[in-house]
Amino acid sequence: MSYREHLPETEGYPRAAIAINAVIAIAVTALILWWASEFAVFYENLFRIQPVAEGANAGVGSDWTSGNQIAWLDFLIAITHAADVLMGVFILFMMFLHWGAFRRLAARMRQPGDSGSSAVAADGGRVDDEASAGTDGDTAADGGERA
Amino acid sequence: MTQLDHGKFSKMTTTFHTLLALDVFVLFFSGYSLMFNDELWWMVGLMGGASGVSAVHRVAGGGLLALIVFWMLMMVTTDTGRGNFREILPSKGDFDAFIQDVQFLLGNVDERHPNARQFAGGTADEIPLLTYIGKGVVFIFAAELTLLSISGVLIWSKTGVISLLATKTAAAAFVTFHGLLGVIMLMGVIFHIFEHGFHPALYPVEVKAFIPRSMIPEEHDDSTEGTGIERLELAPSWNMASTVVGAMAVIGIVSVLLGSLFDEGYPVPRELAIGGGPTDVLLTVGINMGVFVLLLGLVLQMYGNLLRVRWQKQLEQEASEPTAAADGGRVESDD
Repeated sequence: MSYREHLPETEGYPRAAIAINAVIAIAVTALILWWASEFAVFYENLFRIQPVAEGANAGVGSDWTSGNQIAWLDFLIAITHAADVLMGVFILFMMFLHWGAFRRLAARMRQPGDSGSSAVAADGGRVDDEASAGTDGDTAADGGERA
Repeated sequence: MTQLDHGKFSKMTTTFHTLLALDVFVLFFSGYSLMFNDELWWMVGLMGGASGVSAVHRVAGGGLLALIVFWMLMMVTTDTGRGNFREILPSKGDFDAFIQDVQFLLGNVDERHPNARQFAGGTADEIPLLTYIGKGVVFIFAAELTLLSISGVLIWSKTGVISLLATKTAAAAFVTFHGLLGVIMLMGVIFHIFEHGFHPALYPVEVKAFIPRSMIPEEHDDSTEGTGIERLELAPSWNMASTVVGAMAVIGIVSVLLGSLFDEGYPVPRELAIGGGPTDVLLTVGINMGVFVLLLGLVLQMYGNLLRVRWQKQLEQEASEPTAAADGGRVESDD
């Protein structure tokens, strides 16, 4: 008997869709990388001196200099630095927020080695410790449920 | 409908999460050992030097592309995927949850908002599929992974970008852009590891990400009010572990952020910058702490998968041994 008989039928993803999409994904990736590396046929060009650049700084290494002065690329990098700082500060805030919340939640839990709730009630049931009885006095006096 | 507040992801999603995490960890280890090579020199050596690191990064990058394309196809082509997409759209409740979390931290409210609860103790109707942080993670990581994939493909072959932009320095700019973009993801993942590994009720790992909902019973006794967190016993090591890893995560996030600001890649400087001095020692220690938290995340996610395997074995065992009590009642498990 499989353990699955005890478990719920949950709506997952159809197997066929997973298989077909996995194959398509690998094919698309191969295609993208093939396209990307297609550019790399003449790799040796990368290291050639290109003294034929035009403009005031024409000469050996001029393409390096002119490429180093592309304003929109500089701006793109600056924007990304700014995004890093903004997101970094935000992530640090979330980090401290969760750290603090976790400490508060941990304080509510039974502390390690706390033996209070291992007592057995007369009817054999387990005695719930003060936690479920409501230490903050929120159980209604008439035994009814709190609102 | 009652449903446990954990184990809500399908098997496809949990498997995908594991594969994505493994792939992204490898991308982080290889990519940032290149970007922060003065601080993570040992990692460069470990992966076989500069050429070894780039080879590892390319293989993992190809894997990431395949995973992303697969996920997008699943979200678009299946009913479940389209249905889940509606679940992750941000709502007003998510904003309220954020505000309430701040109030909870300050002690002004006693409970976290349902949209913030990782350990919920409610029915599925009350507790959304993802917390507000979970939704944020999905959106930010999706945007990041898209931009990283595009910039990554562009710099796949440097001569490719050069033929588009005509200079070597422009190619260097794209490499820098790719690395700086990943810093957000890197900091986010460090936080993600802390958030899901060090919740006091779920420490050391939140199994929701690893045990699919098909392996979780639908019914459970839920007679108590509230979240029921008061009935759980805190793990003895939680205090120490959460403090140490929390500190390491904060130091790691700050260090990679500072490192990304110092390690300028574009415009390419005229002089070679020689590092050294006490500030670099601090930065080296800090960045290595961040990387240690990543490594811990890798270990914890393997542990999550180990728990899934054990859970499945236990279910199989229980199914083969009838556990009805003598009086025909149900036998309660002893946890």
